[in-house]
Amino acid sequence: MGKKHTSCRNVNENPCNMCMPMGGILAFKGLEQSMVMLHGSQGCATYMRRHMAEHFNEPIDVASSSLNEKGTIYGGEKNLKQGLDNMIKAYRPGVIGILTTCLAETIGEDIDRISQEYLREKGYGDLPVVTVNSPGYGGTHTEGYWLTLRRIVARLAQKTGANSKINVIIPNLSPADIREIKRILQLMRVDYILLPDYSDTLDRPYQKPYRKIPEGGTKLADIAAMGGAAATIQFGLTVDESMSPGHYLESRFGVPLYNLPVPMGVENTDMFMNMLMKLTGNPLPACLEQERGRLLDCMIDSHKYNARGRSVIFGEPDNIYGVAKICLENGIYPVVVATGSKNPLLVKLLAEKLAHSPLRCTVLTGTDFTTIRKQSRGKANIAIGSSDGRFLTEKEGIPLVRYGFPIHDRTGGQRLLSVGYAGTTQFLDRITNTLLEHKHKHYRKSMYEMFYLNNQPVEEFFLESSGEQHDVFMQ
Amino acid sequence: MAVNEKVLEELLNRYPAKVKRNRKKHIIIKDAALARQEIEANTRTIPGIITNRGCAFAGCKGVVLGPLKDVVHIVHGPIGCAYYTWGTRRNKAKSEDPTKNFINYCVSTDMQESDIVFGGEKKLARMIDEVMEIFKPNCITISATCPVGLIGDDLQAVAKAAQEKHGVPILAFNCEGYKGVSQSAGHHIANNGLMEGIIGQGDWEEAPGKYPINILGEYNIGGDSWEVERILKEIGYTVIAVMTGDGSYEELKNAHVAELNLVQCHRSINYIAEMLEIKYGTPWLKVNFIGIQATIDSLRNMALYFGDPALIQKTEEVIARELARVEPIIEQYKKICQGKTAFCFVGGSRGHHYQGLFAELGIETVLAGYEFAHRDDYEGRAVIPEIKPDADTKNIPDLHVTPDERRFRLKLSPERMEELKKKIPLSDYKGMNIEMKDGSVIVDDLNHFETEEFIRLLKPDIFSSGIKDKYVVQKMGIPSKQLHSYDYSGPYAGFNGAVKFAEDITMAFVSPTWNFITPPWKNKPLLEGIVAEGGCSEC
Ligand code: SF4
Ligand code: SF4
Repeated sequence: MGKKHTSCRNVNENPCNMCMPMGGILAFKGLEQSMVMLHGSQGCATYMRRHMAEHFNEPIDVASSSLNEKGTIYGGEKNLKQGLDNMIKAYRPGVIGILTTCLAETIGEDIDRISQEYLREKGYGDLPVVTVNSPGYGGTHTEGYWLTLRRIVARLAQKTGANSKINVIIPNLSPADIREIKRILQLMRVDYILLPDYSDTLDRPYQKPYRKIPEGGTKLADIAAMGGAAATIQFGLTVDESMSPGHYLESRFGVPLYNLPVPMGVENTDMFMNMLMKLTGNPLPACLEQERGRLLDCMIDSHKYNARGRSVIFGEPDNIYGVAKICLENGIYPVVVATGSKNPLLVKLLAEKLAHSPLRCTVLTGTDFTTIRKQSRGKANIAIGSSDGRFLTEKEGIPLVRYGFPIHDRTGGQRLLSVGYAGTTQFLDRITNTLLEHKHKHYRKSMYEMFYLNNQPVEEFFLESSGEQHDVFMQ
Repeated sequence: MAVNEKVLEELLNRYPAKVKRNRKKHIIIKDAALARQEIEANTRTIPGIITNRGCAFAGCKGVVLGPLKDVVHIVHGPIGCAYYTWGTRRNKAKSEDPTKNFINYCVSTDMQESDIVFGGEKKLARMIDEVMEIFKPNCITISATCPVGLIGDDLQAVAKAAQEKHGVPILAFNCEGYKGVSQSAGHHIANNGLMEGIIGQGDWEEAPGKYPINILGEYNIGGDSWEVERILKEIGYTVIAVMTGDGSYEELKNAHVAELNLVQCHRSINYIAEMLEIKYGTPWLKVNFIGIQATIDSLRNMALYFGDPALIQKTEEVIARELARVEPIIEQYKKICQGKTAFCFVGGSRGHHYQGLFAELGIETVLAGYEFAHRDDYEGRAVIPEIKPDADTKNIPDLHVTPDERRFRLKLSPERMEELKKKIPLSDYKGMNIEMKDGSVIVDDLNHFETEEFIRLLKPDIFSSGIKDKYVVQKMGIPSKQLHSYDYSGPYAGFNGAVKFAEDITMAFVSPTWNFITPPWKNKPLLEGIVAEGGCSEC
């Protein structure tokens, strides 16, 4: 494996990631009756709400302490307290998450002290508040998401008596994926606590009357019980220990942690099933066995079409590891795997898997879309990731299978199912069909251009790459 | 049910006392019998209230600067702010030279913790060098986000040095998000910068065609300005520059040669309009190209300004032809829309502009307001002298311009100007409130709580706003129309736009979707069998 540091470039051109508080909001939206307050200027909250609303097609209520120039000089304590007051009156939340933004962190706000003081002053002693220091410059939304989960667990999990529950902690998956994981857990007759569960809160059914805070979410009592659970399954292979909620539960309460890959693809899902069978002693129900069989049937039916696929995969670390596994299992060999997050664990994991791929693959961390585009040019014929990758289609003619967050230019990102045997089957069909459609659409034209006109693509706007680049070879 | 003072009071009573006192001043029920109705606007949003407002950075980089297509817009700050403004506004742009269209690029210094500690000036300077090398743009803007002002990076100095080094204009904007109370502060900052750094830098002394005009405050959302330009060009106008939809540095630098400045969005660009008048003697005309009648009025007012009989005649010809074409189509849609009611809460000018178009479809606007407008956008410019600058507005420096010694030229004699002012909104805007019906509600900085409450009270048939409240409204079973991004539709301006709008609105009403909300078992017996006498049938 060869490694190249190419951070000689200063420009981040077309970013591949969002900022920390964004991920934090997502995590908090998975708690029952929760509200979030961003401490900083109101623009951040507005942008993030806009961003999430467009993906989930749901109202995203996030309050802001609306700091202004004066606050930057005298501190934002008054604003934060007033903001909490108004938010509590209007929403009556059961739990409050407070996230900082760049502004609050730069002026050094002590949100812990301020919020505690506030609760005392107002006599809200038993209203749980979780604070997270999440400066936008401190990491991507992925880090914000995990750090928030860890803070939630650290604040709310308790040393209760031992119970037989199993904690299941998930990365940024679609509401449909969460529902699928829950279905599998129910089929396996697992007594589970899933964190964070935004499967209803960010994909709520049409229902009257309208509620300000949607129903659903992980119950606080359940989070409290996580400290006494029999085990934790965390789909977070790439999560650093300092941000890992599962690691916290293990080191603080001795709950054994099983870090697993996101159950995408046969092997990853097998690992999940195996783990559930081992932990519960229950057998695999026939219907899941059949789903596995159908997935294999799908893979066999499509393998000739898939064999033509050369993929560029981008998104959040644990998600793209799952996607890469699906691609590897189906011969859609990855040529570029990229994330905006600076994640060394991902590189290590991928290197092990990609070592068996017949194609050279470039793994990019801390990167941007211009680098991804440059690396994919002429090598990839299918892109898998968020809608920000549409430029790969527009500029390089690489069709995009939308997966992950955000999906802004298509509807239904929240309903995309991609995990488990059944989800993988659907996901694989989407990939295969995109390859087929692209082939049918471009067959004549590309033949004409390649062999008759002898056209070569033109170079434009490329200089250095940004982020870290790792070349992975077959050993 | 109409909203009267009593109902309003009940609604407000659900707020904490302090909030109530504040919000009360932002809401009025229109009553033409009163000599004047004052509304509070452009003041701070109360923390913890779910507002739709954004920040100064959004108004500067996102709204005013962003659409300039041959300019690379650098966001100096952490990645988030840049990311969230990447391609999220539907300001369309096309360009003859594809290597000079950077509209799809998002360029950021991606500040890290170390930059926050040690300062980001060096990184920014290096980045400008790279941008010059990669893109070779005609001009660069740098927009600051929150942390930049706090750590004290001197953007202006970096920009100045880079400009000397590279020989293209490099403009820095200190539009940190915490400045001012909303996007509005950013508009002002951007206006000042464009006026200082670009407008008038070109060497044209004369317009290249007849009736030269600029279109100000038109951002080409969904192609709006293309439709407006289509009409204007056909009548015979020469469009020098559009600010800033599908606009460019190359056009903007010669904007001084126009004979008239049209102002579409008064809020975001009135500063430039005023400064152009002072500096070059060019008056501005408030226009509105949303709605058929508004478009016609605007065209007639423009023709009257130039006063050329041939132009007036051509204007009437185009109006007559376009009307004959679109009116029958609109009539069809009107049959469906007639008698319905709308909420219209948008930005800083659309809350007003769309009411006429709604009315043409037979839809009455029962509640309207702006997200970040000032009092003059509600009450008219006559109120400006009364507005006391507060700490937040004082933060944004006014740019003082003086008549350009060489280029200042009165376009009209003072007498003619006075005469025209009586007939057309020349260098004036009368605001939204005057056009609203008695009993309608006017709300400034409407928030989520009030949105829900007013919907319950007034039960509008359609709600037009933005994406942040769209889903609240739809979940309440009411169709919504995004008037920031047009839900991926448009254009809505001009004659063709009115047709498109009518079509889209009608679609919202006639969609069969709404019929399935109540399941059959909620209003009908579950089993449609016959109960046999003496017992249950075997169904
Ligand atoms: S408020 Fe500040 S940090 Fe937030 S989006 Fe605006 S400029 Fe960025
Ligand atoms: S990067 Fe910082 S300032 Fe910008 S949106 Fe994120 S938290 Fe706000």
